[in-house]
Amino acid sequence: MSPMSTPDDPDVMDQLTGLAPDSRLGLLRRQRPDVVRHLQRSDAAIFTPPNDGGLSAPERAAAALRVAVLLRDARLQEHYRARVTERGGSQLIASAADLATTDGDPRWRTILGHVDRLTTAPDSAQREHIDALLASGLSPQALIALSQLVAYVNFQARVRAGLRLLGAAHEQADA
Amino acid sequence: MSKPMRDFTRGELEWAPWITPVDADAASQEQLQALKITPSNRAVGAYSLVLAHDPASLAERSPLYNGIMFGARGLPRADRELGAVATSQVNGCSYCASVHAKRFVELTKRPDVMERLYGEGLQAALEPRHRAVTDFSAKLARDPVAMQDSDLAPLRAQGLTDLEILDLVHAVAMFSWANRLMQSLGEPVPA
Repeated sequence: MSPMSTPDDPDVMDQLTGLAPDSRLGLLRRQRPDVVRHLQRSDAAIFTPPNDGGLSAPERAAAALRVAVLLRDARLQEHYRARVTERGGSQLIASAADLATTDGDPRWRTILGHVDRLTTAPDSAQREHIDALLASGLSPQALIALSQLVAYVNFQARVRAGLRLLGAAHEQADA
Repeated sequence: MSKPMRDFTRGELEWAPWITPVDADAASQEQLQALKITPSNRAVGAYSLVLAHDPASLAERSPLYNGIMFGARGLPRADRELGAVATSQVNGCSYCASVHAKRFVELTKRPDVMERLYGEGLQAALEPRHRAVTDFSAKLARDPVAMQDSDLAPLRAQGLTDLEILDLVHAVAMFSWANRLMQSLGEPVPA
């Protein structure tokens, strides 16, 4: 999936929701062209950045997979599982998808712990967690990228849920 | 688990980072572009300077935020701000809640609505429209996969169009994003 899709191609959110750009729901989305554009570009900036600051592309996809598992969103899990595999990160899938895992080196386990905390208990985050992430070897850039990534997938899941509701309502109206 | 509203304050709060922000005087071109700093606009807050450590994501997130919260027509801004407050209450982000409670009151001149939410929490007695917006926002913020078609009914009963509902979804989603950054990268402090 190219991050630079044309306006007529389904973008990432279209694909996640299973809708065509010229469908009623696709056209509804496109009543907010700035949102569509920057949502797609955010996806690219987070998952295929110009330089990764030490948080690799497979790691990013695997962290996103973990968010999807925590949110119990099957479609999002499928999407990120495929991305991890495409990026050569299949060895990360097991630890990312297993919420009880103790696999992985200390840096990866610290990352996964932060993904969990940020997704399900953001209010429990403390300065010491940031210190631990930096001490585990993440650069400031990678720390911010990780934070943006987890927050973005949480954003993505809510947009998807809302579009699903609006799409279902349209299907009923057409029936 | 949401914080009890009694822990919230609508007094002035600032936000103190837990990671050293980018030094604007030593920032790269990419960082400066992401921050949209020009020689005449140096008043960039600590939050943006922290996010500038990863300029690629900041550069897209800022216009996305603006498109969602300030996009013309569609859902009245006050309802977007109410969605932001409800989301922030679910997540326990007191800084976001205080900023957006203030914006809601500026837009509506209805401090009583925020006083009820602060005093009694998300179950406070609210007018039907505020109730509908708050309930939808809180549930979407808390558990998106659990949303059901029937969750749209109260919004439809208030006459919200598809675009207005989409605007609310975007606002809740954006604060599901923003809360997590604010809560994990720093802490609120009294001004």
